[in-house]
Amino acid sequence: MKDQIISTYIKQCLETGKVPSNVYAFAKELGMEEKDFYTYFSSLEAVEMAIFQYWFEQVREQTEKSEIYASYSAREKILAIYFAWIEALKGNRSFVKMLFDRKQEHFPMPKFPNFLKLLRHDFIEWANSITNQAIGSKEIEDRKFLSEKYKDGLWMNFFFVMNFWLKDDSPNFEKTDVAIEKSVNLAFDLMGKSPLDSLFDFGKFMFQNK
Amino acid sequence: MEQNSIPSSKVERAMRFVKTGAQIGGNYIKHYSKKMVDPSLSKEELHEDNATDVYNALSELKGSALKVAQMLSMEKNILPRQYTNKFQMAQYNAPPLSGPLIVQTFIKSFGKAPQEIFEQFNMKACNAASIGQVHEAVLNRKKIAIKIQYPGVAESIKSDLRMVKPIAFRLLDMNEKELEKYIKEVEGKLLEETDYELEYKRSIEISEACAHIPNLIFTKYYKEYTSKRVLTMDWMEGLHLDDYLKTNPSQEEKNRIGQAMWDFYDIQVHELKSVHADPHPGNFLMQENGKLGVIDFGCVKEIPEDFYYNYFALLVNELLEEPGIVKKIMTQQEIINANDTKEVQQIITDAFLKMTKLLATPFVEPSFDFGNNEYIDKIYALGEEVSKMDELKKSKEGRGSQHALYINRTYFGLYSILNVLQAKVNTGERDWKTALFNYHKPQLSAVS
Repeated sequence: MKDQIISTYIKQCLETGKVPSNVYAFAKELGMEEKDFYTYFSSLEAVEMAIFQYWFEQVREQTEKSEIYASYSAREKILAIYFAWIEALKGNRSFVKMLFDRKQEHFPMPKFPNFLKLLRHDFIEWANSITNQAIGSKEIEDRKFLSEKYKDGLWMNFFFVMNFWLKDDSPNFEKTDVAIEKSVNLAFDLMGKSPLDSLFDFGKFMFQNK
Repeated sequence: MEQNSIPSSKVERAMRFVKTGAQIGGNYIKHYSKKMVDPSLSKEELHEDNATDVYNALSELKGSALKVAQMLSMEKNILPRQYTNKFQMAQYNAPPLSGPLIVQTFIKSFGKAPQEIFEQFNMKACNAASIGQVHEAVLNRKKIAIKIQYPGVAESIKSDLRMVKPIAFRLLDMNEKELEKYIKEVEGKLLEETDYELEYKRSIEISEACAHIPNLIFTKYYKEYTSKRVLTMDWMEGLHLDDYLKTNPSQEEKNRIGQAMWDFYDIQVHELKSVHADPHPGNFLMQENGKLGVIDFGCVKEIPEDFYYNYFALLVNELLEEPGIVKKIMTQQEIINANDTKEVQQIITDAFLKMTKLLATPFVEPSFDFGNNEYIDKIYALGEEVSKMDELKKSKEGRGSQHALYINRTYFGLYSILNVLQAKVNTGERDWKTALFNYHKPQLSAVS
C-alpha cells in the first residue's frame, strides 16, 4: 500500500502541476478513508520524505550489489553512489524540480527543504560509514573534532550536486558528471593529508619544546 | 620550450588569455607612443613583441585553444618553426576519468556497465588519447581497445574558442570577418572530433575504400558498442614511428610502409575527396612485417569539388604555363583578390607559384626519396621567406581558402612523417592529372 500511495502522490503532482491540497482530498483520490491513510503516513509531507528515502535505499542496494563496487576505494564508492543517485532522479526530474522550486515560495532561506529530512538522515549515516572506512584505509586523515564533521561536509556536497543537476542544461547532463567528479575529488583532497596537518603537527612540537 | 605548469581550469585559462590580450594591447600602446617620438619605427618590432608574448602565453596552454592557435599560426607562419613543431601534439588537458564515471558513461550509452558487456575490462586507462582515454578489454576472447571521451569536451572547445578569438584578431592583424572563416573551419573540425559516432562512420567509409591498398591495415570497429562518447575497436598491435625506427628496419621495409602511406593519401585526396587530415605519428602503428596500421579517424576533411579542381590544378604543369588560368585559380583560391594592385597580385602570385613548385616536387618524377633532408629544409626555408614578405604581412585579409588549412596541414604532416621514415616512394602511379587538365581545358582553348 505504501508503494501505491507514493506512486499516486507523484502521479498527482505531475499531472495537476501542484501538490495535493490536503490529506482528505488525496485519500479520496486513492479511494480510501482519511483515517486509513494515517496508518501509513502521518502527513502529506511524510509521503514526500519517504519518497526520497526510498529512492536512496534503492540506489544503495543497486550500487552495492554490483561486483565492481566492492573493489572501489572510498572515493570511488562515493562517486558511484552520486552517479547512480542522479541517474535515479533523472526518471523523476519534473517531480524533483517541482518540489525544489516550491520550497523557495514558502521559506525564503531554509537550510534544506523539509522533504529531504529522511534522505539527509540516511545519507549521513551512510557517509559516516564510508568516511570511517576511509580513515581506516588512510585514504583520508583522522583529525580531532574535524573528523566528526566529514559526513556533514559530504552532505553539503551531495546537496550541491542535486542543485547543480537541477540547473544543468547541458545535453545528457554531462556537466553534472563533471561537477560530481570535481567536487568529490576536492572533498577528498580536503579530507586527505595536507601540508596544514604537517604544519599543525610541527607547530605543536615547537610549542611543547620551546 | 618549457611547459612549467599547465593552467587547467576554465577560469585560469581565461585569465591567461586576458593577460595576453592586455599584454598585446600594451605592446600597441608602447609601439604608438614610441612611434610618436621616433616616426621611423617599423611595425616589425611590434610584431616581434607580440609573437613573444603570445608564445609565452601559448606555452602554458593546452587543449583546443592551443590547437586553434597552432593552426592559425601555421597559416601565417607567425610563430617560428621550432615552436609550431612543439605545438603539434597539443592535447586536451584533463585528469583521468574515475572508475565510477567510466561505468556511468557506459550506462548512459548502452544501459550496462562495462563489466556486464566485456569478458574483461581494465578500469585503468592504458593510454590518453587527445580528448579521452583508452582502455583495454576482452570481447569474444579478442583483445579490444575502447576510447572513452572526457565529459564536457565540446563545451570546453566552444568556450576556449570564444577566448582565443580576440587575441587571434590582434595577433594575426586580420579583420574580424576574414579571420572568422578560418576559425569556423577549425572549430567545425574540432567539434567533429568529439563525435565518436561520426568517427565510426568515417572510418568505415575510408577503410572500405582503401582496403585494396597493399600493406595497409585497418582495425575493426564495433557499432553496437559505439556511441557519441565511446568508441570500441579491435586492439591493434604495432609500434609508433619512433620506436619502430629503433628496431632498425631495412630500407626495403621502410619503403614499403612509406608507399602504403603515400597510396593511402593519394587515393583519399584524389578519389574519395575526403581525407584523414591528421597525419601525425601517433595515428599510425608500424608492424614488424612492414605493414602500416591506421588508427583514429577523428579529423577528416571533405574536399569540395571546385576547391579540389583549382587547388590541385597548380600541380599540372601545362596549366601553369597559361597566365589567364593561373589568375583564375589564384582568385578562386582567394590568394589574390580584386582589391590588390596589379603589382601586389603579381608578387603574391609569383611567391605562391614558387612555393607550389617546391611542394609539388615529389609529384614530378615517378618516384621520390623523402629521406632527402635537403628538400624538407628547403620547404621550411621558403615558408619562412614567404611569411616575411611585406606584401603578405601588410595585407589585412587572410590569404587562401579556408579549405586549404587542413589540406596544407595534411601534406605537411605526410611529408614530414615520410622524411622521418626515410622512405623512397613511387609517387606517379595514379594519373589524376588528366582529370584536372580536362576540367580546365575549355578555358585553356578559349584563352589561346
